Amino acid sequence: MTASPAGTEPRHASGDGQEATLGSLLRLLRPVFRSHWLRLACGFLALIAVDLLQLIIPRFVKSAVDGLSSGTATSSMLLTLSLYVLVVAVLVAVLRFVWRYLIIGFSRILEKKLRDRLFDHILRMDQPFFERWTIGDLMAHASNDLATVQMACGMGLVAAVDALVMSSAALGFMLAINVKLTLIALLPMPILIVCTRILSGRLHYRFNLVQEQFSSLTEFARANLVSIRLIKAYTLERFQEGRFQALGEAYVQSNLKVAAIQGLLFPLATLVGNVGMLLLLYYGGALVIDGQITIGSFVAFVSYLYMLIWPMMAVGWVANLAQRGITSLRRVHLLLEQQPVVSTGPTQEVPRAATTTYACRQLSFTYPAAVRPALTRLNLEIGPGLVGMAGRTGSGKSTLCKLLLRMYPVADGMLYFRGMDVNRLSQTGIRQCIAYVGQEPVVFADTIAANIALGRPEATLAEIETAARAAAIDADILGFADGYQSIIGERGVKLSGGQRQRLALARALLCDRPLLIIDDALSAIDVETEQQVLQGILATLQGKSVLLISHRVNILRHADRIVLLDEGRIVDEGRHEDLLGNLFYRVMAEKQQNHA
Amino acid sequence: MHNFGYSEEGRVGSVGDARIWRRILGYCRGHLVGLAGAVVLSLVVTVAALGLPRLMQLGIDHYIVIDTLSGAERIAGLGRVAVQYGFLVGVIFLATFWQVVVLEWLGQSIMQRLRQDLFAHLLTLDLRYFHNQPAGRLVTRLTNDIQNMHEMFTSVMVTLFNDGLKLAGIFWFLFLMNGRLALVMAVFIPLAVLVTLVFSRFAREQFRAIRSQMAKINSFLAESLAGVGVIQSFGGQERSSQTHSGLTQEYLRRSFGQIKVFGAFMPLTELMSSAAIALIIWYGGGEVIRRHLTIGELAAFLSYMRLFFQPLRELSQKYSIVQSAMASAERIFQTLDTHSAMTVVEPEQTGRQMTTAGAIEFRGVCFGYEPGHLILREIDLAVAPGETVALVGSTGAGKSTLISLLVRFYDPLAGTVSIDGQDVRQIPLKILRQRVGIIMQDIFIMPDTVRANIILDQHQDEDRLAGILQQTGLQAFIGRLPQGLDTRIGEGALNLSLGEKQLLSFVRALYRDPAILVLDEATASIDTESENMLEQAIEAGFHGRASLVIAHRLSTIRRADRIVVMDQGRIVEQGTHEELMGRESLYRGLVRLDTPGENGNICREAAV
Repeated sequence: MTASPAGTEPRHASGDGQEATLGSLLRLLRPVFRSHWLRLACGFLALIAVDLLQLIIPRFVKSAVDGLSSGTATSSMLLTLSLYVLVVAVLVAVLRFVWRYLIIGFSRILEKKLRDRLFDHILRMDQPFFERWTIGDLMAHASNDLATVQMACGMGLVAAVDALVMSSAALGFMLAINVKLTLIALLPMPILIVCTRILSGRLHYRFNLVQEQFSSLTEFARANLVSIRLIKAYTLERFQEGRFQALGEAYVQSNLKVAAIQGLLFPLATLVGNVGMLLLLYYGGALVIDGQITIGSFVAFVSYLYMLIWPMMAVGWVANLAQRGITSLRRVHLLLEQQPVVSTGPTQEVPRAATTTYACRQLSFTYPAAVRPALTRLNLEIGPGLVGMAGRTGSGKSTLCKLLLRMYPVADGMLYFRGMDVNRLSQTGIRQCIAYVGQEPVVFADTIAANIALGRPEATLAEIETAARAAAIDADILGFADGYQSIIGERGVKLSGGQRQRLALARALLCDRPLLIIDDALSAIDVETEQQVLQGILATLQGKSVLLISHRVNILRHADRIVLLDEGRIVDEGRHEDLLGNLFYRVMAEKQQNHA
Repeated sequence: MHNFGYSEEGRVGSVGDARIWRRILGYCRGHLVGLAGAVVLSLVVTVAALGLPRLMQLGIDHYIVIDTLSGAERIAGLGRVAVQYGFLVGVIFLATFWQVVVLEWLGQSIMQRLRQDLFAHLLTLDLRYFHNQPAGRLVTRLTNDIQNMHEMFTSVMVTLFNDGLKLAGIFWFLFLMNGRLALVMAVFIPLAVLVTLVFSRFAREQFRAIRSQMAKINSFLAESLAGVGVIQSFGGQERSSQTHSGLTQEYLRRSFGQIKVFGAFMPLTELMSSAAIALIIWYGGGEVIRRHLTIGELAAFLSYMRLFFQPLRELSQKYSIVQSAMASAERIFQTLDTHSAMTVVEPEQTGRQMTTAGAIEFRGVCFGYEPGHLILREIDLAVAPGETVALVGSTGAGKSTLISLLVRFYDPLAGTVSIDGQDVRQIPLKILRQRVGIIMQDIFIMPDTVRANIILDQHQDEDRLAGILQQTGLQAFIGRLPQGLDTRIGEGALNLSLGEKQLLSFVRALYRDPAILVLDEATASIDTESENMLEQAIEAGFHGRASLVIAHRLSTIRRADRIVVMDQGRIVEQGTHEELMGRESLYRGLVRLDTPGENGNICREAAV
């Protein structure tokens, strides 16, 4: 997948009218902050203690140097001072562990809570949401944005507090020694802050470009290696090498541009610190010569100035981190603000009924981003019994399935489930009545048993086996080393297209729900097994309703009624024999039967 | 493309492997000037950076604390020192800038060459190699492994030059000022090295644990997103949510493990630095009292001590980068050392342009991917120029393998494959594959226009293209696309249906005007319209060419001059449809089996 790079303009924010305020963003984090306030408070206390303790060390150095220059220093005094330094240093090390554990730990907890919340939220969303955000987008949000927020709330927060404490303390000491000297030494500092802000912004932008190019380079290589047979069959080796080279060179160029900015940014702090030191040497030296400050103060001043360089660098970094954290948080917030649009008004429980009917009345539907309607004034009665449906690709069959499953919103008065308008019924309630097998069978990296029991986790193994037998997948499963406990996926067993379809069917059959929808999900099953599978479906039909979409006349002929769809309209309807008069159906049937 | 932490980290390269270093240096050979420049810049930066505290010390000792000179003289002297100081500051800034840029340029150019070599090399490897290598792993070679090496080139080389030199320089200065004190300070070097070695091992383990858990979370997320419709319609949200929470909880636990390791080790360098300061105060101060050391020198010692620990930390942090870069280098070079098992004839060796009538002959051909497991046994088959032969048989009968041998994806274990009497092993690959046009089930689509996808590396000739479209009736296919030949397809643009892809593939093959045409018909159902167009195109395209079709549709089979039925790697029956149907044959069995079905597929393959 191509991840949309983090940090570029939030792609979706613009469409939503007003941007979320900072307050509402922070409200997102507040519960976590609140429930861990003690942890945070202790962490910051330790952090501040570390900073203050560190400031004491130059004081010890100062007394030692002053003592030495005035000739009053003795070895025992020096020993005491150096022991003080050691004790403080050990204390600092311990406290550093403490704040890291508490504050960085907090940011990880925050990340986990947000990640879980985001995941749960996304699972609640309906199809219009997944049209706006592709899987790639969501993956990028989950990995990049949450990591950025974690960084900002962990190291970012630490650096901010640290820089604040360190710089104000160092400044305080420097001011205490000499105000004018302090101001002179700090003269170049604002330049650092401004330049860092500007450059790191540019760097971030350039860096995203590099990431994008890296993605396309990777994707190019992947596509080529996957299709190596085709590359070789068409002797495109040289041709593709040339294209790869061009991509690689563009990537190198972008990297050089990044390097140019980094080359300015990295030595900048050193430069500014050194210039400050230069000013200090000249003016501070003059003050010592003048007798206004002691040489000890001068040396201590040098130490304090060194101490200031880091917080000054950190300010730019923190600002950048905070900005990116907010941007990321805004994107996460936008996701969390989305609500499913399928059911908006108050709903009631689905009425109980012996038979299940699902009726379309003048059902029209247009996809959110589309111009032409996908379905136009469809009138259809599903159930009880078996309704077959056929039509060419794009005729609206799958769209209808999605609407029946309540994945997209429909206007009032168009869909009636058990005689009631679906907009008045709970979405979950309707879904609980439908077992659905989609065109693309979905399997999860879990055991086969768990995959079949997706809709009924409490099902016994015997029930699972019965469903598997009905879907004619039982023998295949027993062929695997671990049988029903075999894991599906990269590390486990790989299923063929036909096996996946039958597994998905078993999953639906196990649920034993009143309405079964099969959307062209038997296409990869071979001819022998097909009839067996069909018998399995027909056996469970008693008193239920089935909508079966297929292109196979052999399957459709079992239907009580066959509906032909074309360009979103019903073009014909009837039993197999009746429809042989329909040109499309006849051609389809003849194509399938003309041999022998 | 995100890697999501999927990369092999199982092994760590041995940093001392001289052969690998020699090969890396081999790649640097073209950049000696750049490398020399980087070293010079490093020297400049280091010397200048070390000069600063020295100047500070000079300023203090010679002017600030000297009472013998007049105030004005002292200030004038201080001014001179300040000017020198300022000059060094400027030099450091400029030299650092250029160093960063030069090193990036070096690293990027070298890596670009390595990446290009690797990519080109991968494309020359035969398909046997790709059999056992997941594409993902090979992509990792080209991306992550190269990236690792690049990281070593830029950040490690900077560190090695700058910090190594700096350490040596600092030590030298310290030694000049006070030998004994310098030696006492030297105790910290092995200590720091030890600490970082232990730390880098712990840290690497922690990182691996975290990354593998993140990979689990991400793949679970990807899977859940892809199947969100199913999860929702089967009410599996609660369960998925619990699984996810369990995964993130484990991630949190591992993060805390990492925090503890970092929390324990990160303050250690600072601690050592403070211990060094304590040592200087105690021992160095004593030296001042004993008049072995001036106060300025003591101050300089303190400043150098600060400079001393930073490179030590940097160097040790870079150690793990070098380790992973070496592992990457080893993998890359291993791949580069793998060679295609097939002997290739260079175009120059034949000297003449091959004119192909298109007679294909397989004689006594045996083949298997693994020893002891033959896919093809003793195949004898001749296709005359202009003849169309349909290959029929169930999955695993060896039809696709037969075609792979014709275009020499593999070489037969025994027997020969020849075109116009010439063994395919004697024909340069480029010419062979130009002569044999293959239309496969899957298709390689570049994100570009339909036209570019047809022409690829061939000479652009609109008339010829129009002619082919006209002749095969495929202008109807192009006409259906929104912008005709200029329609952009591929990632981020229009997605073609399965049927359309086969049509495109057909045009692409015909544009290369092959003497022999090979078609692997799609097994899955394609839309009726495409199917009709494809039938028409096959009719026109096969005319006058020797053709081999792996056929699934009865209509295609019946059009063939001859049907060859394969079973378990052997040719079991041959003849026309009528001939084969006229007697008790495997073919008749296959057709019978399929007759009550539909789609006209002689054998459906997908269910296996």
